[in-house]
Amino acid sequence: MMTFRRAALLAAAFVLSTQAFAHHSFAMFDRNKEVTIKGTVKAFNYTNPHSWLDILVTDEKGGTKEWSFEMEGPSSLMRSGIKPGSLKPGEKITVKAWPLRDGRPAGAAISITKEDGTVLDPRKGLRPPTT
Amino acid sequence: MIDRKLVIFLGGWLAFAALGARAADKMTWDKLPDWSGMWTMEGRVIFDGSGKDPHREFPPLRPEYEAKYQKVVQDAINNIEFDPLTHCLPAGFPRVLGEPFLQEFVIRPEQVWWIHEQQNEIRRIYTDGRKHPPADELYPLWEGHSIGHWEGDTLVVDTVSLREGIYDRTGAIHSDKAHVTERIRKINADTIEDQIVVEDPVTLTKPWHVTKRYKKLKDPSLRIDHWACEEDNRAVFKDGSTDIVLPTESRYKDPSKPDEEQKK
Repeated sequence: MMTFRRAALLAAAFVLSTQAFAHHSFAMFDRNKEVTIKGTVKAFNYTNPHSWLDILVTDEKGGTKEWSFEMEGPSSLMRSGIKPGSLKPGEKITVKAWPLRDGRPAGAAISITKEDGTVLDPRKGLRPPTT
Repeated sequence: MIDRKLVIFLGGWLAFAALGARAADKMTWDKLPDWSGMWTMEGRVIFDGSGKDPHREFPPLRPEYEAKYQKVVQDAINNIEFDPLTHCLPAGFPRVLGEPFLQEFVIRPEQVWWIHEQQNEIRRIYTDGRKHPPADELYPLWEGHSIGHWEGDTLVVDTVSLREGIYDRTGAIHSDKAHVTERIRKINADTIEDQIVVEDPVTLTKPWHVTKRYKKLKDPSLRIDHWACEEDNRAVFKDGSTDIVLPTESRYKDPSKPDEEQKK
């Protein structure tokens, strides 16, 4: 029977070996948690090593808070069908993400839903072919 | 009557000559294989993704390196991860063989370039018959020094002069004494296969055999552009691990104002 220690080591090695689609370590994001944030696009930086989507979120009191979401770099987003103009400043969107562990307003984007209901999957193009 | 010994001698010589020719077919423009297009690695982002157990896909490491590997795995359990890629260093060879981004081959009779999108890494493989530089001119290189020759449509590559580095994010280390040989061939219209053998007397107890495959991508809009890693890299080093800087924080560098922001 596999010991707990061995199981934990295997799990860690597996995480290390599969998360690496991201250019950097993923340790700061909590992949056991998901947040859904609604806001207005401030900037969409189509850059390497990662693209960043910055959005402004209005709270109940009318104040705004900036949230940032990491996505893959340009060629991987292109492979996911997300182009530089796919997210425009001023546009209202809903982002589902794995948040930062420390609670600051940022995360790794899982999906982005546009106002017309279109869902963008920024990780689609990362999956290497398996055949 | 022909001397029997002479026949054996001549036969042996012809066989040897044929083998010799096989060992280094002269490549000419008309014989170059077509490796055009955009390619990406198949399978998991790990140096040897062939097995089910990601914990143990490499031959036994020597004790000192086994301990370093175990430390990386233990740290990962505690959410402490460090990867030089995060800080815009190249993957380097042979790690680059297991990276998932776009790749392209440029083949000339005397040289092959294996171009990786990530960090603009280019492996130059000299097929013009040159040898590795003499020992007193070798120093650790990110991509090593690669010489190769063609055996039919198979590119046979020999790489030395590497930097110490990791094979992948699991943290297993190769030394700068690692010696890597590869047999690279297009096995069908959409697949290039690389049969790799790593010998490293410092870290490995026996040679590591790995086969990697690269798939041709069909999307014509894909191309490799310059990867300016520091342009908007919000990942930073913190407490032995990786953290993110947000636009509202002082360390943030706005990519739309690169000249000003880099002075921060």
